[in-house]
Amino acid sequence: MTFASLAARNILRNKLRTFLTVMGVGIAVMTFLLLRTVISAWTAAADFAAKDRVVTRHKVTFVMQLPKRYIDKIRQMPDIKSATWANWFGAKDPKNDREFFATFAIDPSSYFEVYDEIDIPADQLAAFKADKSGVIVGDVLAKKMGWQVGQDLTLESGIYPAPDGTEWKFTIQGIYTTSARSVDRSTLFLQWDYMNDSLPEVRRDQIGWVVSRVGDASKTADRGLAIDKVFDDEDTQTLSQDERTFNTSFLAGFSSVLNAIDLVSVVILVIMTLVMGNTIAMGVRERTSEYGTMRAIGFMPKHIVFFVLGESIVLGALGGAVGVLLGYPFIERGLGRWIEENLGGFFPYFRVPPGWAVVAFFLAMLLGLLAALLPARQAAKIKVTDALRRVV
Amino acid sequence: MTVTDDSIIRLRGVTKEFVRGGERLRVLQSLDLDVKRATFQALMGPSGSGKSTLLNLMAGLDRPTSGSIEIDGKRIDQMSEGQLAAWRANSVGFVFQSYNLLPVLTAVENVELPLLLTPVAANERRRRAQTALRVVGLDDRMDHYPRQLSGGQEQRVSIARAIVTDPLLIVADEPTGDLDRTSADEILTLLETLNENMGKTIIMVTHDPAAAERAGVTLHLDKGRLKE
Repeated sequence: MTFASLAARNILRNKLRTFLTVMGVGIAVMTFLLLRTVISAWTAAADFAAKDRVVTRHKVTFVMQLPKRYIDKIRQMPDIKSATWANWFGAKDPKNDREFFATFAIDPSSYFEVYDEIDIPADQLAAFKADKSGVIVGDVLAKKMGWQVGQDLTLESGIYPAPDGTEWKFTIQGIYTTSARSVDRSTLFLQWDYMNDSLPEVRRDQIGWVVSRVGDASKTADRGLAIDKVFDDEDTQTLSQDERTFNTSFLAGFSSVLNAIDLVSVVILVIMTLVMGNTIAMGVRERTSEYGTMRAIGFMPKHIVFFVLGESIVLGALGGAVGVLLGYPFIERGLGRWIEENLGGFFPYFRVPPGWAVVAFFLAMLLGLLAALLPARQAAKIKVTDALRRVV
Repeated sequence: MTVTDDSIIRLRGVTKEFVRGGERLRVLQSLDLDVKRATFQALMGPSGSGKSTLLNLMAGLDRPTSGSIEIDGKRIDQMSEGQLAAWRANSVGFVFQSYNLLPVLTAVENVELPLLLTPVAANERRRRAQTALRVVGLDDRMDHYPRQLSGGQEQRVSIARAIVTDPLLIVADEPTGDLDRTSADEILTLLETLNENMGKTIIMVTHDPAAAERAGVTLHLDKGRLKE
């Protein structure tokens, strides 16, 4: 028998209470882990953005478009290795109009050079380039919609009406994959020319944004400023940002949601601490005469503090272990896969952030310690004769 | 102040006051007491007479409002809390009316508990605890938990815990209060044996005249004063 084993023994004194507390802490830890994963997944596009890419858009708003000729000027600038453009096409499948997926009209010859983390089989890319009405879709989207290469698609766009006023006709020429965490695997790419040529004359040759790769990744911001300077005297001025800043600016609209999730994750920890504190306080109250006995036979207040804190830390560790052991596979294998497949537009990479499982476990232990501070102090302060009460 | 050769406990002018509800209560009044070494003494008196308070003072669980308490030549009333706790661990064995065993520990672990505070190695701790249990006749119940023992057996474990550190003094507060007559007799016989064969000084608070008769000396306390 040791001091530590004595502290641990008390945990099994009331098995039901211990079980309920451990499960309560476990569920809190699991929820905490899930919320941290949501925040991490939401910011993944910014966190894993390429350092050498610059995004150029209309200075006023992302919704307004740029003249297509801007791409040529940007390509001629020094230290610009390659540049491409895209438009938000805003299409949906009329048969499944509740299913959201991103659709971009792109330049097939340059887009996948700038986004070289998107993997497409060479024959499929060639087929896409050769077919003006061809599209490339992400593997997650294809699986979800049941699409296959060679299949014809009919889509609607609220932004760009179809040439005949009804629906756009496409053929799937390829399916892309990616190992990059920032790339949504549920996007549909169509040829910009196909879209542009179908538009009325007045709406043609307008592009949504330009994406450039620079030679020196440490000078991305400078290159962005240089690009904007080129168009300073034009009617349409630009705002260029490195990809991380650009992606983060999208998140700004969700910042209150992210802050709320952040706050809720902290509130959960506070509730968890109070649950543990209550359990420990009940245990201390029930064992007052035992602590009195121990004090009588020579144990010091510091020993009592050790027993109370030790018990609470072990409770926290058990709860933390339950939370991580249940939460990690639940998020990694179950919920995360489902979210990536069904909400890939928002969460292309929904995995437990590295290290957070360990952090959650140790947080549970630390909060176990904090939860027991007050009960431990009370147990240590009680007068021996009062603790023994009617006994001595 | 020195203690006479055959006295282990010496109280001089000991007064103890409590404040209850704003009122100052004097529980012990200028009490003088000498307890001879290796004696078995019973402390009797009506409820509220100050028996438990006196026992607590002699055991170093409480401090007098005034006066001195000397145990085996040491002024325990002048010790710090830490010194007092260490002194209790080495010098006093406690036997409580309700046994006060830790329910999560087996009999032998309960007996071993006070030895955790000593530098004794784990194997030696266990050996000493087993020996103490043999002394009280419970060598066949070492691995039983308190809930698996009778009241008399629990009190024997409590006595084994009290003697395992080989203390100078054993204080017992109503050690037979929760026991039937037969078990009470066995416990009193055991206390007598510890006194006679091991030379332990035992102070026992009791309401039971039959229990008091087993002690060599009976002290009567009334309204905070010792009666002749």
